[in-house]
Amino acid sequence: MRRPGEIELVNCTKLFGETVAVNGISLRILAGTYCCLLGPSGCGKTTILRMIAGHETPTSGEVRIDGINVVGLPPVRRGTAMMFQDYALFPHLTCLDNVAFSLEMSGVGKAARRERAREMLARVQMAHFADRVPAQLSGGQKQRVALARALITNPRVLLLDEPLSALDEFLRLQMRGELRRMQRDLGITFIHVTHTQQEAIALADLVVVMNQGNIEQVASARDVYAVPLTAYVARFMGGQNVLEGRVSAVMDGMVALALPDHGRAEFPARDSVPPTGSTVNISVRRDRIHLAKRTGDGNADSINAVNGKVVAVEYQGGWVKVTLGGNGGDDFVVNLPDGEFFADPVNAGDTVRAHWAASDVHLLISRNGRSDRPYATGQN
Amino acid sequence: MAARANGRRPWTFYVLATVFTLFVLFLYGPMACIYILSFQGPNGGLTFPLNGVSTRWFGALFYQERTGDIAGAFSRSIPLAVIVLTLTVIFSVMAGLAFRRRFMGATLIFYVAVASLIVPGLVLSVGIGLGFQMLGIPPRWYSSALGAHLSWTLPFGLLIMFAVFSRLSPSYEEAARDLGASSWQSLRRVVIPIVLPGIIGVALFGFTLSYDEFPRSWVTVGPSNTLPLEIWGMTTNITSPALYALGTVTTAISFIVIAVSLVSIAIIQLHRTRRRVARERAMQTES
Repeated sequence: MRRPGEIELVNCTKLFGETVAVNGISLRILAGTYCCLLGPSGCGKTTILRMIAGHETPTSGEVRIDGINVVGLPPVRRGTAMMFQDYALFPHLTCLDNVAFSLEMSGVGKAARRERAREMLARVQMAHFADRVPAQLSGGQKQRVALARALITNPRVLLLDEPLSALDEFLRLQMRGELRRMQRDLGITFIHVTHTQQEAIALADLVVVMNQGNIEQVASARDVYAVPLTAYVARFMGGQNVLEGRVSAVMDGMVALALPDHGRAEFPARDSVPPTGSTVNISVRRDRIHLAKRTGDGNADSINAVNGKVVAVEYQGGWVKVTLGGNGGDDFVVNLPDGEFFADPVNAGDTVRAHWAASDVHLLISRNGRSDRPYATGQN
Repeated sequence: MAARANGRRPWTFYVLATVFTLFVLFLYGPMACIYILSFQGPNGGLTFPLNGVSTRWFGALFYQERTGDIAGAFSRSIPLAVIVLTLTVIFSVMAGLAFRRRFMGATLIFYVAVASLIVPGLVLSVGIGLGFQMLGIPPRWYSSALGAHLSWTLPFGLLIMFAVFSRLSPSYEEAARDLGASSWQSLRRVVIPIVLPGIIGVALFGFTLSYDEFPRSWVTVGPSNTLPLEIWGMTTNITSPALYALGTVTTAISFIVIAVSLVSIAIIQLHRTRRRVARERAMQTES
């Protein structure tokens, strides 16, 4: 038997008045997947989650769970359970009665439901707090209780709305690991909404990057990070430099691109070859770039390189983040391993040449009519 | 705080403390005089000094002498206040819930409901009195006066419930729905318990506003007076300390109402804590 918990959105649109929150998206999430919906605030990710949960009705389109259209069904008949951003634990009930709430609603007797709620609390290491009320709990403890309360319904799909955003950094990392472990143990589908890139790629089997109500890319964590589809994804995920250039020539399977400031990029054409004269975006990973101090003319070898002035140097522990200015649009960031950096350190104000291998150039596709900048400032 | 650093208070402290002391004296001084004088001796008058001490004037309240029908006034004012309280709570909570969702004409209905707060009470009273007369219905405390009081307490209750519900996160109701609660279960098991302190506030308001209401009762009350009207009538035609005894008794009743509500809240909380402690003990003995 196929595992239950497959989600399918078919041409789903949600309008709030004139505002398009979700714009005709289609998405399929296989059963047992840990899926992260990722995007900046206002991109529609929470609306999608709430449509799957049944707290929002799509203006048009279908939401299917295990092949059945669930639009119009109450949450309890969808086999979903939701964990709310503020946890929404009932303040007047003890942890035990919070966890037992859904059993109480379905008419399970007091002794039986408390028994099961106690087991579920033990599962999230909260057995000792059974008789506390939510106001007596810390953020991390509230989250565990909320998780227990959602899981006691035996859902096919667990929906998590920014579950880690209320926690401090240490707890966030700890709970992140526990969520992943819990998902693996239960084998059910988790859909987790977040605006934090690190959280998404650390957790997810499948990352869905959203942009103003549209899906920008659906891929594995590694692909979203390493081979972003669009400039928007590359910028949003971070870890990439996005450069815009004009295609000057295509020959022998190599694409030549004229970059601003007389720079040039050359890279092997892969699936699609852009027409000569068109404007395209490419990305190069920040950690695949090398720096050389510029001496004398330096224009001799400017293929797959940009020249610039160092505007900031930030020590990050394992690597050093060097930011170059003066390349038009975005800042150009180079992440150097600390060994490489300290072998020949640069300082703010130095003029340097950043260069990379042709095989590290990644051609991005453009989506007409959509912003390719996740943040107004374009920086991350 | 800065003043505390050198251990001295600024001069403004003494000015404000004096103003506040005068205010408290002004507020409670005359009331205290009335309470003391209500224990005037049998041959005492309406002013100090006390000529002996007795509870005679309290006794006088409960005979329908020429002092007026005090017992009767109580027997109307308290049931009226309780009916007003009940209706105010029911309608305010339901209206508050309705206004949580936007509906057609919500703004208009809100303004219409709240407008009666700014209509002068006497005008409203005369209007309702005339209305009943035109319809040929005799005005009574339990019909026309009840309506007049509700025109005062309902907008108040509605405004309080707005404030209460605006602090109630909608995610509680969504969570309840998510966990399989019907609308009714969600209301009974989640929403009402969370907003219960606000509802008690509405109830107390409804009671005291009605119990204390003069202008809206004036024309609407019919042949038998409510307490404030009776007191007012007495001030014009009696000159015994029974008047003061009446003031003491009405104040005491207000305090009793408040005390009963506070004590009942405390008992509910104590009950919850006891249950929790008992459960914890049971758990410890299990393990």
